Order: sequence, then structure tokens, then C-alpha cells
Amino acid sequence: MGREVAESCIDGVIIEMVSAYASSFYSSKPDLAARRIEAIGFQVGHQLSERYTMERPRFADHLEAIKFICKDFWSELFKKQIDNLKTNHRGTFVLQDNHFRWLTRISLDPAAVANNDATSESESGADMTSMLLYFPCGIIRGALNNLGISCAVSADMTNLPACSFVIRIKA
Amino acid sequence: MQFFSGSAPPGRGAGGPGNNAHMHMLYIFNRAGVCLLYREWNRPLRTLDPQQDHKLMFGLLFSLRSFTAKIDPTTAEKGNLGVPLLPGQGCSFYSFKTNTYQLNFMETPSGIKLILLTHSRTGDQKESLKYIYNLYVEYVVKNPLYVPGTPIQCDLFTKNLDQYVRTLI
Repeated sequence: MGREVAESCIDGVIIEMVSAYASSFYSSKPDLAARRIEAIGFQVGHQLSERYTMERPRFADHLEAIKFICKDFWSELFKKQIDNLKTNHRGTFVLQDNHFRWLTRISLDPAAVANNDATSESESGADMTSMLLYFPCGIIRGALNNLGISCAVSADMTNLPACSFVIRIKA
Repeated sequence: MQFFSGSAPPGRGAGGPGNNAHMHMLYIFNRAGVCLLYREWNRPLRTLDPQQDHKLMFGLLFSLRSFTAKIDPTTAEKGNLGVPLLPGQGCSFYSFKTNTYQLNFMETPSGIKLILLTHSRTGDQKESLKYIYNLYVEYVVKNPLYVPGTPIQCDLFTKNLDQYVRTLI
């Protein structure tokens, strides 16, 4: 388990993957691109959760599993824990990260944000960012799926670099 | 015995006599000569329109680099005078100083040229240029939304750059 890779390589691969799927492979069908990116994240989350729960006993309930995601899983992936966890005790959890690692370098172009031009061909910064966020949603979904919890995950990015992930467990 | 008091150049705004307004300007060019960034923090006099200004600046540094490498007395082999130099070739040119300003230059192996104009009493600016290049890598190159070769419009980069340059002034 000793091989290491520079973090900028991982950042570069993820950026390029998202941009390739969003702009070249499915450029006319953004929702297909989103599903594909999320599916890739699903695989990754599945395998990662296998690796990180090797020595642990089974989780008692959903809350324990979510807490594992917030603390151990997130610190293995992003070197920090989730900052805020909220739940309504009826299957919905909101995980808030105030400084999400993959969003720290994004600066939305102010001119593009103000100019809501539907005729512009290139994707706006906000679209690209939401595409990028499908990947961690998939990771979370894959990890939870491997722990036996099927759910739906969505991301909310009202103010960068903070973002929150909403997990809805299918009862 | 004030020879130069009151002789502010024309077109200057609120400069008075003895005003030691420091100028600081930064240009970033890529290998093809596209001006990726031009920022000024205090420029008292403007003579050319921006496009010409950028082209002149790029041309100046291109030729200066070539010239300084060719008259280098320490290396043995020289190419022909007209051959353009690759980024690492030849001796590296750092700065030139006049009585009013100093131009500091840094070129990276990838062809990114950073040019910082400061007042002539600042010392060596190699460390500052390296720091600015580091900011460029962090906030521009690693930004998923940036298309390489286009002018930089990243908020985070300009904010951090402004913050850093204010500590230098």
C-alpha cells in the first residue's frame, strides 16, 4: 500500500475527465454527461470504501455510516473532516464542507456570471462547476452503497469554496 | 535649491512636487506573445494605447533576451544572431534599471514571461517574481475553468496578487 502520486496529478486528471465528458463526449447532452461522471464517482467510492473499512466492524445504523463518511472517509480523501452535519432524522442528511478541496481554485468569471446569455456556446463557469461536483456526489453514493445503504446524493454550491452535499436515504 | 519641484509631467493627475509616487506594473506573457495579464497599481503616465504597449513590451524583452545571450562573454558557442532562443537557452536576463524605474524579468521553462516594473530603489526582485509565478500556478493553471492561452480573468488570482503586491510597495 505504499505507492504515492502527486496531488496535482490527481487534480489534473479529475479536471480533464470532467471537461472531456462535459465538452467533448456528451457536449449536446449535459444530463448524460452528468450521469456518466456520477457513475465514475460511484465506482471510485465503492472501491475506496472497501479499502477504508477493512478493519472495522459493521455499522450499527445509518447514522453511524454517515458519521464514518464525515470523519474517516473525508479525511482520507481530502485531509479534513466535514465541518457540519445536519439531519432531519427521517433519512435526509446535509454534509457541509466549508473549504472543499477541489473547489478552492475555482474563480467564477464575473463577466460570464453577470451575462446570462443563452446563445453563448461555451459552458458557463457555473455549469462546469456543477459538473465537477457530480463526481464527489458519486463517490459518496458509491461508498454508502457498499455499506448497504442505497441513497441519492446531490450537491449545492451557493458560495464557493463551501459546498454541501444532501443525502436522501431511500427507505 | 529645488531644481525639479513643480515640474510634473503633463497628464499627471494629483501629483505634486516632490511626490515620490512609486509605480508598480505587472505584465504576464505566454510563449506566443499573448498578454495574459496586465495589472497596474500606480502608473502616473500613460503614453501608448494598451495593445501597442503590450506588443512593444513583448518585442523588447524578446530582443533583449536574444541580445544579452549573444554577447555573453562566458559561453563558448553562439548561434546565429537571428535564431530565436528557447526558454532555457543562453544566460538569463534579470532586470534593467533607469533613474526612474526598474524592470524585473523572469522567464519560466514553459515560456511564461513575468515582467514587474518597480521604482528604482527596490533591490533584487527574483523572489517576488517566483512568488507571483507560484500564485499563477496555484490559481490559474489549476483552475478547471481556465483555458490556457487566453487572458486571465480569475478572481482568486487577482485578489491574491493585489494583496501580495501591496506588501511590496
